[in-house]
Amino acid sequence: MGIKAIFGGCPVLEFAAEQDRRSFLRNAALIGVGLTYVASRAGDPVAFGTADRGYGASDANASDLDILNYALTLEYLEAAFYTAGLKANLLKGRELELVDPIQQHEADHVKVVRTTITDLGGKPVAQPKVKFPDGTFSNRANFLKLAGTFEELGVKAYHGQVTLVKNPELLGAAASIAGVESRHAAIIAQITGGNPFPAPIEANLAMGPVLKAAMPFLAK
Amino acid sequence: MTDTTADLIHGNASAVPAGVALGALNNGFALASAKDFRNDIEVLNYALALEYLEAEFYRQGNAADLVKGKEKQYLMQIGADEASHVATLTATIQKLGGTPIGAPAVDFGGAFESRKSYLTTAHVFENKGVGAYLGAAGFVKDKMILQAAAGIFGVEARHAAVVGNLLGLKAEGGVYQGAYEKGIAKGDVLQAVAPFLVDPDKVVAAITY
Repeated sequence: MGIKAIFGGCPVLEFAAEQDRRSFLRNAALIGVGLTYVASRAGDPVAFGTADRGYGASDANASDLDILNYALTLEYLEAAFYTAGLKANLLKGRELELVDPIQQHEADHVKVVRTTITDLGGKPVAQPKVKFPDGTFSNRANFLKLAGTFEELGVKAYHGQVTLVKNPELLGAAASIAGVESRHAAIIAQITGGNPFPAPIEANLAMGPVLKAAMPFLAK
Repeated sequence: MTDTTADLIHGNASAVPAGVALGALNNGFALASAKDFRNDIEVLNYALALEYLEAEFYRQGNAADLVKGKEKQYLMQIGADEASHVATLTATIQKLGGTPIGAPAVDFGGAFESRKSYLTTAHVFENKGVGAYLGAAGFVKDKMILQAAAGIFGVEARHAAVVGNLLGLKAEGGVYQGAYEKGIAKGDVLQAVAPFLVDPDKVVAAITY
C-alpha cells in the first residue's frame, strides 16, 4: 500500500489476513485507538468506523489524534516502567545518573502528548494499568534489558508514523520526542553492552506490530 | 582545543580558538540570508554537506589513533554511519533528478590533537546534526524523504548521546539535551560548521539554488 493511497483515503493500515485485522482491533480497542486505521472494506459493518471514539474531532485531525493516543499509551507505559524501576533502587553512580533523566523525559512526554491531544480537540486515553514480568525489578540486568526493549520499540513506533501524521507541526513535535527516545535507546544499549547503533537509519514499525509487542505489558 | 563546545553550540564562532577557527571567521559569511529551502533537493543537499563534513571528520579522527577498545569501535561505527548517510543522500538526490554537491574541502584544525578534542568536536557535530535535521524537517514535502531524513536524524541523536557519554558529560545537558530535541535554523547550523569548511561561501552557493 503506497503513501498516496494512505493520503487519498481513510484506511492507513491493511491487513494480510482477517485474523490480523481482528487481532489489531482487539488490541486497539484496549487502548482506545485505531478506529480510523481500519479499512472499511465492502461489507464491513459501518460501526467499525464510527464506534465510540471518545472525541468529537474533525476528520482532518482524527487520525493524528489516534496516532497521538497511540504515542501516549507507549509513553505511559515507559514512564510507569522507569518509575517502578528507579523506585526499586537497582542502579547507582553513573548508571543512575544516566537513567534518572529518562524517567523524567518519559513523564514529560506523557504531559505534552496529553496536552497536545486536548489542544487538538481530542480526548487523551486514560493511563493504562501496566504489568511487568516477574523479576523485572529484582535486579539491574533485568530492568535495563526491558528498558532497552521499550526504547527500541518506542523509536520504531515513532518512526513508523512519520508518513502518516498529517499536521506538520505535530510531525515536528513528534520528531523532537523521537530523537530523545533514540538517545535513550543508545545509552541503554551502551551501558548494557549492547549495540547503540543498530542501523545507519532508524528502523520503523507499524502500529499493529508495536501494539502486539506492547500488549503483554498492559493489564487487561 | 579547550572548552569550545558551548561556544560552537551557541553559534558564537568568534569564540572558537585559533586552532579550530582557521581563517574562516572573518570572511563575510552572510548566513542570515540563507534561511529557507525551496525544494526537497535543497534540503537534501544541505544534509549532504553536513554528512560529508561528519564522514570526513570521523575518517580523519579515527585515522589519528586517539581512541582504542570499545570507544574506537563506537567511533568506527559512527563514521561508517555517516559514510552511509552520504551514500544514501547522494543516491536520493540523483533519483529526484537533482545534482548532489561534491565533498567540500574541510579543515578540522586542532580537533585531532587529543582524544578529548576529537570527542568534544564530535559531540558538537552530532548535536548540530540533530538540530539541523529537525530544523529542516518542516521543509520536506515528500513523505518518503521525510521518513528517511527522520531515520537519519534519530541515528545522529544516538551518536550525540553516546559521544556525550564517552566524554563523561553530565547526563542532562550533556548526554541528553532535555526531553525534546530542538531544531536549529539552517543559517545557525552553517555558521557553526563554517570554521571547519575551507570555503564556506562556496558550500553555501552549492547548496542554494
